[in-house]
Amino acid sequence: MKKEEHLRKLGGILGPFLGLLLVLAIFSLMPEISGRFLRLANFKNVAIQSVIVALSALGMTLIIISGGIDLSAASNLALSCVLVAYFIQAGFSPWLAALLSVLNGGLIGFLNGFLITRLKVVPFIVTLGMMGMARGIAKWVAHNQKIDAPITWLNSLMARSPRPSWLLLSPGIWLMIIMAVVVGVLLRKTVFGRHVFAVGSNEMTARLCGVRTDRVKLAVYTISGLLCGLAGLMEFSRLTVGDPTVAIGLELDIIAAVVIGGGSLSGGEGKISGTLIGVFIMAFLRNGCTMMGWPNYFQEIIIGAIIITAVALDRLRHGQE
Amino acid sequence: MKKRRPDFPVLWLMVFLILVSGFYACGSREKAGEQKASSARYKVAVIPKGTTHEFWKAVQAGALKAGQELGVEIFWKGPQKEDDRSQQIQVVEDFISRRVNGIVLAPLDDRALMRPVDESMAEGIPVVIIDSNLQGDNYISFVATDNYQGGVLAARRLAEVMSGKGKIFLIRYLEGSASTTYREQGFLETVTREFPGLEILVKDQYAGTTTESAYQLVENLLSRYPQVEGIFAPNESSTFGALRALQDSGLAGKVKLVGFDSSEKLIQALRQHQLHGLVLQDPMKMGYLGVKVLVDYLEGKPVEKRVDTGVVVATPENMDQPEIKRLLEPEVKKYVR
Repeated sequence: MKKEEHLRKLGGILGPFLGLLLVLAIFSLMPEISGRFLRLANFKNVAIQSVIVALSALGMTLIIISGGIDLSAASNLALSCVLVAYFIQAGFSPWLAALLSVLNGGLIGFLNGFLITRLKVVPFIVTLGMMGMARGIAKWVAHNQKIDAPITWLNSLMARSPRPSWLLLSPGIWLMIIMAVVVGVLLRKTVFGRHVFAVGSNEMTARLCGVRTDRVKLAVYTISGLLCGLAGLMEFSRLTVGDPTVAIGLELDIIAAVVIGGGSLSGGEGKISGTLIGVFIMAFLRNGCTMMGWPNYFQEIIIGAIIITAVALDRLRHGQE
Repeated sequence: MKKRRPDFPVLWLMVFLILVSGFYACGSREKAGEQKASSARYKVAVIPKGTTHEFWKAVQAGALKAGQELGVEIFWKGPQKEDDRSQQIQVVEDFISRRVNGIVLAPLDDRALMRPVDESMAEGIPVVIIDSNLQGDNYISFVATDNYQGGVLAARRLAEVMSGKGKIFLIRYLEGSASTTYREQGFLETVTREFPGLEILVKDQYAGTTTESAYQLVENLLSRYPQVEGIFAPNESSTFGALRALQDSGLAGKVKLVGFDSSEKLIQALRQHQLHGLVLQDPMKMGYLGVKVLVDYLEGKPVEKRVDTGVVVATPENMDQPEIKRLLEPEVKKYVR
């Protein structure tokens, strides 16, 4: 029995991983781009393009495991992107601007958690409201335009070739790896992580067992908000401007990454490794379709089909339990 | 414990089938142009701001026309979501990875696209900028409409139909939109310099991005200044909004209206003398010259740093002349399916 349980867990991660390999295999077999696709430079390129979605998807994984959802992730990210630009333009040091905008992301997340636990309104509605509010504040701060901030070292965080070359990868990619390990350890190796799973599997039982479910939720949304703030900082680094209209609809990509990676929208299930693979599947599909010169509608159809099959699979697994 | 069906292969089989069928679909569609593609001297990526707007369809037609004539394979690819700066950056990066021979880019942002363009130039992939400007000058050439000149022509046309005197509105489009700001500036400076008989009643009101917001603005201005005799609007949506407001208040045809860019409804209004002039850009020429200039550069010929694609004024009188008709209704269908 123990062995079978182990195998099932392996299967859960093996599925998405095989999918990623398949996507890689298909594009590297395309004669037009076979020499270009499987190159270290292109992999670095895709990794940089994944950083923003990956950082927010780490937080989204926590939220989805706890049985919630965060529709405000992309708006939170855009607000943080605008705030960095705003603070730098106002003469703050880049360090302080970055810190404040990440903290603001945490504040938005905290507010989400607070409203969900105190008002007893479902996460979908609270974060739907917050999605509009954060986006609106971002546009307000930026006067409905983009903010041109002077170039600082923050803008080299996402450069394709890192400034001190001994870094090998750009700082943004390192940040993504470090945060993935941190959140992964938090989820798997700590009491808090156990509690997150408990709340998502059965909140009532968790509460009866003495888990302070409201506190767990508050922490989960706050951590997720901080990660969105960090993603917004990376978005600013990439754009070099604070753009309040950036990442519209990105929350759906973020949720899709978690779901493709084995997260269940009914809570209690999800993996950091799976989520990252979900992010990379979508990033490589975009990258490959663009390199092939395929039209956009084609890649939208593929990604849409993958999401549906992944969720159908999720239901199937649940039906069997 | 119940025996579990190994479920994940089902998913990936499906994905695989989708990909393979997609690959075949694309492959068969491209078969027609295969001999062309294989003999193409260069591969050029043309990256617009969006892919659904009429204007960009015309740019695409121009680029494909240049591709056919010069033996260049054209990759037409915009950001997945219209006007998404971040995704346009990704598209540029992906084409750098693909190592196309050159990129023709209409930057969504004069600043955010600087770094990807710098990277492309550094990797030896030349970039030609079309339509909207990019800060700095690390590119091969800038091929675009002279928007200031468009404003100048609009002012002259409005003065012509008003016989050089009367009260007018200048409707502005959007704060921070570079191309329309140049048009407004060209209009304003020409009116003050050349036509002292024209009195500008309004010059600081913004119409906003939609027809609806322009419509409301002009409606409000009409009730505030009923004595107005002429209006200039600097783009398609504001022109159409102004036209709708004039039509609703029964002033269409009486108040002279000069607009910018064309659409089916505006052509109709021009024919009915409700619209007295339309300043037209040449998006097809923009797409064509963007590719042409890039190929010239690749072949070592000298290229101009700034290429003007020209503006003309369509009037109810000249709208059936072939060269104006071509701009009012670009023959997009001939090149774009």
